[in-house]
Amino acid sequence: MNEQEHIAAVSSFLLQSPPGQINDVLNDVRNIVADDESLQQGIMPALLAYNLAQFIVADIPGTSHTAIVSEAAKAGEEDDRFVDPRSKTSYKFDHIALEASDPQPIELDAESEPFRAALESATLQYLSAHYHEGNASVFATPNTPRRFTIQIVANKYNPANFWSGRWRSQYDIDLVENTVTGLILVNVHYYENGNVQLETKHNGTLALPPTISVDAPSPSATKLLALIKEFEGTCQVSLSDTYHEMGEKSFKALRRALPLTRQKLDWEKVLGYKLGQELAGAKVGGS
Amino acid sequence: MADLLDSMLDLLRRLPPTQIEENVSLLVNLVPTYADDLLGSIDQPLKARVDTATGREYLACDYNRDGESYRSPWSNEYDPPLDDGTAPSPKLRKLEITMNEAFDLYRDMYYEGGLSSVYLWDLDDGGFAGVVLLKKTVTPASVAGPKGSWDSIHVFEVAERGRQAHYKLTSTVMLQLVRRKEVGGDNGSGVAEGWKHDGETNLSGSMTRQMEMDYPLQEFTAHVPNAGRMVEDMEIKIRNLLQEVYFGKTRDIVFDLRSTEDLEHARRQRELQKELAGFIRRP
Repeated sequence: MNEQEHIAAVSSFLLQSPPGQINDVLNDVRNIVADDESLQQGIMPALLAYNLAQFIVADIPGTSHTAIVSEAAKAGEEDDRFVDPRSKTSYKFDHIALEASDPQPIELDAESEPFRAALESATLQYLSAHYHEGNASVFATPNTPRRFTIQIVANKYNPANFWSGRWRSQYDIDLVENTVTGLILVNVHYYENGNVQLETKHNGTLALPPTISVDAPSPSATKLLALIKEFEGTCQVSLSDTYHEMGEKSFKALRRALPLTRQKLDWEKVLGYKLGQELAGAKVGGS
Repeated sequence: MADLLDSMLDLLRRLPPTQIEENVSLLVNLVPTYADDLLGSIDQPLKARVDTATGREYLACDYNRDGESYRSPWSNEYDPPLDDGTAPSPKLRKLEITMNEAFDLYRDMYYEGGLSSVYLWDLDDGGFAGVVLLKKTVTPASVAGPKGSWDSIHVFEVAERGRQAHYKLTSTVMLQLVRRKEVGGDNGSGVAEGWKHDGETNLSGSMTRQMEMDYPLQEFTAHVPNAGRMVEDMEIKIRNLLQEVYFGKTRDIVFDLRSTEDLEHARRQRELQKELAGFIRRP
């Protein structure tokens, strides 16, 4: 393998990191490749892609809230400056240290801001009602009127008990086409005496009722979040059903808890039984 | 460099179990000098192969591999053929045949299908070691049907001590469950305001357990019931553990991230209760 292939392999490992464990994965690959210099430059694109895709959160300087670092949060073409519409600032983000710095005031688009702000306030209310430790950001799509993105992420990291989990959701609201598309991604990693992972993905689309309109920000935002709440609730119930079905049906279909006889095997008799079966088979000239 | 293997194993314990084969092959290419160490310490999904001599399927893993060839437990032949492939001594091969028969019956009783293979090999100190493999796959009737697979790998080492035998067992079970669902549209199927919704859930991984046991050994063939009991008890133990972790723990974590109940409502309720409690206690 040449250096480029090394970087490609390492990048692929980093992008597969389970919730809250990118530094553990990075430590492992540094040990395996043992060439910090070439790694340092080479893995930056993977770290950036991971942070954006996983909705890594930044503590916004001068505020007591967090903002989601994502594709939708990009301030422009640069990879390290993002916007936090909630505090009307942009900030620099260090993709290795995962820290925000250098906050700068920004002007938000006057036309979309009333609706965005209403959506943000309804989202934050929803967040505290259904997430234990959730983060959310609401963005107006730049240079595209009447399009908004809601992003939510909740993380639980418990390395002492060998588990971690992440819930991500994203809603793209289009008030020109009057549609909303939703995406929920949940990852859970349990790694005591093993490596067990849950990966679940839910897609949803919905045509919006005519009552939802940019001209009525507050009631429209409340209605939108009610629809999102229903979607997320439905997905969670559906996941719950899947768990039940997997545990009750699929698991049993793979291996029974006990044989049909409801008893463990009589191993002393197993050999004799097998021999008898073969003799019987031979007698009738069977297989 | 001694901890390089540890780093590779730690990495594989974190990356998605569904990608284990791709990731192992990337690691082998990254550090070719550690290929054998890695392949010998990591469990990968078992592959079914057909014994060309008998037409019967068997399971392939690192323990019945010699170079690029795999030995069948049914014909004892390597495929592709090898003139000098490692094989158990005649006495051990006899035991291997009997163990294959016994675990074939075990497979039928617990798995009602699937495949089993047992491989034994002589150890330098006079004892022997072996591996019991079991695999079952459920393939869906339709795209939306449930899919799953179970792979058991039980590696054991035996030391005979007079009329006793000491067994050391390391067992890994890989379990994969996949389910796809489509809900909704505007048919009023109970989905909120006509959300069209599809979902895919993949619950996959492996768990490993070890144990040591002493059993009486009146004769050499007693290794069959001894190993049989040990593997059976271990599978029951791991199956319970899988049940708890897969359908209990990982589910609890999801519900710990998002609550279906309104948390604000619960918070207000608690505060109200506190207030009431204070009110009652007041003299």
